[in-house]
Amino acid sequence: MSQPSPSILSSSATPPSDVMIDARGVQKWYPNGYHALRGCDLTVNRGEVVVIMGPSGSGKSTFIRTFNALEDFQKGSITVDGITLSDDLRHIDAIRREVGMVFQQFNLFPHLTVLDNVCLAPVLVRKRSKAEVREQALALLQRVGIAEQADKYPGQLSGGQQQRVAIARALCMEPRILLFDEPTSSLDPEMVREVLEVMQNLAADAITMVVVTHEVKFARQVAHRVVLMAEGEVVEVAEPEAFFTNPSQERSRRFLDQIL
Amino acid sequence: MNPLLRRLRHDLFATPADGLITLALLGVIGAGASSFLRWAFSQARWAVIQANSTLFAVGRYPIDQQWRLWLLTALLAAATGITWGMLRSHPRPDRGGTLWPRNDRIAVGLLVALSLLLPWMLGLSPSVQLRWLAITAVLVLLRWLAGRFGPLLPGPFKRLLPLGLPLLYLIGMVLIGGGLGLASVSPSEWGGLLLTLLQSSFAILLCFPLGVLLALGRRSELPLLRWGSVLYIEFIRGAPLITLLFLGQNMLGFLLPGGLAPERVWRAAWVLTLFAAAYLAEAVRSGLAAVPRGQLEAARSLGMSMPQAFASVVLPQAMRVALPSMVGQFISLLQDTTLLSLIGLMELLGTARTVMANPAFLGRNAEVYFTLAVLFWCCCAALGLGSRALERRLDPAAIARSG
Repeated sequence: MSQPSPSILSSSATPPSDVMIDARGVQKWYPNGYHALRGCDLTVNRGEVVVIMGPSGSGKSTFIRTFNALEDFQKGSITVDGITLSDDLRHIDAIRREVGMVFQQFNLFPHLTVLDNVCLAPVLVRKRSKAEVREQALALLQRVGIAEQADKYPGQLSGGQQQRVAIARALCMEPRILLFDEPTSSLDPEMVREVLEVMQNLAADAITMVVVTHEVKFARQVAHRVVLMAEGEVVEVAEPEAFFTNPSQERSRRFLDQIL
Repeated sequence: MNPLLRRLRHDLFATPADGLITLALLGVIGAGASSFLRWAFSQARWAVIQANSTLFAVGRYPIDQQWRLWLLTALLAAATGITWGMLRSHPRPDRGGTLWPRNDRIAVGLLVALSLLLPWMLGLSPSVQLRWLAITAVLVLLRWLAGRFGPLLPGPFKRLLPLGLPLLYLIGMVLIGGGLGLASVSPSEWGGLLLTLLQSSFAILLCFPLGVLLALGRRSELPLLRWGSVLYIEFIRGAPLITLLFLGQNMLGFLLPGGLAPERVWRAAWVLTLFAAAYLAEAVRSGLAAVPRGQLEAARSLGMSMPQAFASVVLPQAMRVALPSMVGQFISLLQDTTLLSLIGLMELLGTARTVMANPAFLGRNAEVYFTLAVLFWCCCAALGLGSRALERRLDPAAIARSG
């Protein structure tokens, strides 16, 4: 990775405090009138890992998709790495270059090889030389443990392998922030672990991460803070130990009763 | 029992009912085939084709300029040979390939046989027979050379090589129509297969980008662009081609000041192009609809601009889905060129009608129409074969299965 990384960072260490994402009072209505986000606040600091949990339909995916403008919102403000999200397309493109995203359905490009999936955006968007990007891409594939699959097509890989390619693809843009939208939810159980391990290694390298997931163990071990969302609102933000052992909100307690 | 016999018995005579059906069908097929053969070899008088083979090929193209068409044919054969050889010598990385697969050997055999037999059957002069043989030799030789030595060419040269194909098209246009020091041959003198192929290739090449733009316009968020595209597509698809062709011949003359209105042949070519673009847009639209939304989201979240995301991620996938129906459009476009005979152009069907009107060949309609059908079938089969090869080359699922 290009970022200088204090690579051993236990989850108890206090992350540096400059703000990477600052979302205030975000409200979103879908065109059909459904009020998806009802005033959400969240601050994510540099090097921090924030896990967002909550029942389905609580708006957690919608919320993180507003961070890189895949979803628009009608009220409130979002600032990412000092750039304020607005309708200005240049701002949106600038933010998307700095924010990587990993999707539940992987969304690899099926017509390109694994290596080309990883190399495409850095060459097109960052205008970097093909040879240099290729080298970095191979190193990243090595890091996520699938260097030997570089010349295969996504359809030839297992779900877990595909998701690891998707992570390498996001990393190759050298983003400052990585968003994970339920990265393990469509994986077979035995493949969940290989993806979580990769994410855990990233967290250890102090990459800022916002992760929507149902993986309690991951949240406990890796997150600096856990956010609970329900009915389009942020119900609770707490450190993982406190959240899982002694949540402050009744709604959190009910949610934990259901999943634990 | 002999395995062949067993297989025949299993496929054709498994039950008494199967056997009856098989016998009945054999009877029908046999009767049809024998009466066709009787017609083809004893009743038909193929002199009408032999005497007019040049007319069918190029219409009334001036004889002293026909060397230009021979040169073009040779160039096309060379380009085909080189492309074919290069494709075989550069198999996809995940799939091994031999330089001479069985189908290729059969194809070359057929080609050589045809170039020997066909000119002889048409009663062409020995020098012309030799010319066809030489053209085939160029094709096969370059196929061999490109397959054998193509990989040794320097990289930049190899990357530039595909640009030779559009260049060849432009060269072909100059060779056919004149210019750059060549005497001009007016489009009214082009005819036969030459005009048919020219019209259809022009329309196919140009309707492709137009159709993609229309399909994108139809999905655009700009209302004016979207409604404009929808209006155009629906209007064109709602009107019969023949009406549009007549409209084009009459209206362009009124709309554009005298000198600016393109020549009749070009007017028809543009109408064909604009017509095909509307249908192509619908094929591309269905392709675009088949690309999951997540693909665009993934591309955009990697920082790609809208044009980048469409060019590198969405369109390549949409094209693969749309390819079969697009080729279907191209094939019907090729057949639709016969309508041009109704507005007085001498393409294949128009040429055929003048031939049949000639008192010397009275009553020889069957021979002429049969030849026409075979010619069109060959062109359409070539398009179909090409598209299936392209489909296999573009299909990651097929790659995955073979890998």
